[in-house]
Amino acid sequence: MPRIYVHPLPVRIWHWINALGFLVMLFTGFQIRYIGLIDLLSFRTAVVVHNWIGFVLIGNFFIWFLFYLFSDKIRVYHPELSPLKHFRATFRQAMFYGYGIFKGQPNPFHVSVYNKFNSLQSMSYQVIMMLLVPLQFYTGVLLWDIHRFSGMINALGGVRVVDTAHVLIFIFFAGFIPFHIYLATLGHTRTAHLKSMLTGYEEVEEEQEGGK
Amino acid sequence: MHGKRLATLVMAALFGVAMALFLGRGSAYAADSAVSKLDQQCLACHSMEGMEKELADGEKLSLHVDGSKFAKSVHSVIGCAVCHSTITLENHPPSNTKITSVRAYSLEMTKVCDTCHGDIFKRYKGSVHAALVREGNPSAPVCTDCHNPHAVMAKAAYDAATGTPCSKCHDPIFKSYAGSVHGQAALPCSVCHHAHDVSAATTGDDLKSACLGCHDGVLAAHQKWLPNAEQHFETVSCAACHAPDAKRKVDLRLYNNVAQKRVAEKEGVPQFENRALAADANGAGLDAMALRGLLHEFNSEGEDVTLRGRLEVSTGVEGHRLLDKTRAIRDCAKCHRQGADPFQSVTVSIVGPGGKVLRYNAQHDVLNSIFSVDSVGGFYAIGGTRIKLLDWLLGLALLGGIGGPLAHLTLNWYFKRHAKRIGGKEDS
Repeated sequence: MPRIYVHPLPVRIWHWINALGFLVMLFTGFQIRYIGLIDLLSFRTAVVVHNWIGFVLIGNFFIWFLFYLFSDKIRVYHPELSPLKHFRATFRQAMFYGYGIFKGQPNPFHVSVYNKFNSLQSMSYQVIMMLLVPLQFYTGVLLWDIHRFSGMINALGGVRVVDTAHVLIFIFFAGFIPFHIYLATLGHTRTAHLKSMLTGYEEVEEEQEGGK
Repeated sequence: MHGKRLATLVMAALFGVAMALFLGRGSAYAADSAVSKLDQQCLACHSMEGMEKELADGEKLSLHVDGSKFAKSVHSVIGCAVCHSTITLENHPPSNTKITSVRAYSLEMTKVCDTCHGDIFKRYKGSVHAALVREGNPSAPVCTDCHNPHAVMAKAAYDAATGTPCSKCHDPIFKSYAGSVHGQAALPCSVCHHAHDVSAATTGDDLKSACLGCHDGVLAAHQKWLPNAEQHFETVSCAACHAPDAKRKVDLRLYNNVAQKRVAEKEGVPQFENRALAADANGAGLDAMALRGLLHEFNSEGEDVTLRGRLEVSTGVEGHRLLDKTRAIRDCAKCHRQGADPFQSVTVSIVGPGGKVLRYNAQHDVLNSIFSVDSVGGFYAIGGTRIKLLDWLLGLALLGGIGGPLAHLTLNWYFKRHAKRIGGKEDS
């Protein structure tokens, strides 16, 4: 099967640091919030680890951000501006995942170097990378040193408001991560997408001719 | 000499000796040159034990002065006439001054103290004790309740063994304090509470400043192991961790964001109590909605009022039982845990007239109710005051995130089986 190079090295490094980091953050976040329910780490250890990995992820974000900012590959994150095109593509993709895939139908989306995300993916990743992740970092930093940032925290309505935002995004990711892992198994083989995130190369169908 | 004359002489001599002895009693301290001749004249009568005057209300005002103590006191150089300037040998006894009660007399005499001790008196006027006196509280201390003006020694009002004069009114606190690390070091109350400008314990930062004034470098010491140490210093009183056996609670303080200080009530305008009572429908303490309403009322006057929470010890008695630092609470889970006991008891407070804190009970679930996210926005203890609704949302998210894939897998398996049975093409 022919293959195309869709995940450059910086992207792959960023992705796996993120994956590991998110899992640690979810676990330590859960331990911090639900102390009493689970007891695998002490509260203090969970807080310290959460703080350290949080800063690692912020740095990691900049690997992703700077790579795409200074590369033409940023096109993969360009949103589909035509509402009709966007709706059609999204509907078609949803129909595939909800029905067509069970019937053995081919994926209506074809990966290319400058267009590697299907409509559902691009919508999700734009919201996640441009909104949710930055917001989570921001609220996280505020909570890391409440006294230092008390001016900003009070302007936002108080520490409870900031923490509620942080927890809501945590809830989103707690649901999204298992979902994301499952969706990654929906390639032409169960491990196809995992391999491509390791090697950088996505195997594509024979009939495909270049990108859309 | 004839017997009768001898007897008269002996009687006269005996009487003279008696009188000399009687009068000479005074001169026991004439040897102590501290007491002037004039004062000795006063003491001639006033050193009599049990000397007292009946007042208009039936109370008895003691007129006895212990002469030897007075001689040793710092006021002996001043003498009687300076303070008791209205009394002269001509106009008393009996004195024409009308004294209505012992208390009224004490209050009146404070003016005399003021004439020499002006700056101390000024500080006293700003104290919570003076505020209580102004309110008419008959037990609130004036100068003579702590200082015996006839036996006053330099800076020695306090007795470490008994806690007097503070323990006269604050005995349970003294008993608790005596067992603490500071009490055992015999530190007087005034070290932290400032004898004359005593402020209500939980207003302002006076007590925290007192701790930090002696205990250098504690913030740095806490930062070594405590995340958000500065915020803890802001939100948690020292005693809350350092009096480990104490019962703790949360006090939500009405705070003026613009003036950057606690909201204070003016004398004679009991807004806080009236509003709180009106908002408390069942008398069971303010719930989340009532609290929002109360806050809204305080904000309706164009002020920017919020609630600032503070975790503190429930009673003054417990708050004085500060123990050695090795006994201090270091377990985060003591507070950062659902159902932790500090969060079971909540009050809302304002600074009352004269500086005393006025509190009103709130229901404890105002700390973690979805309806008080905005009103109690400033108080949050991770893990301890979480909103239940978010826990449900987490459950839903996990259900979706794990259940969704499971459902998808199940459908996939079903369709595959179905396709196999009718001989359909098998694709991935």
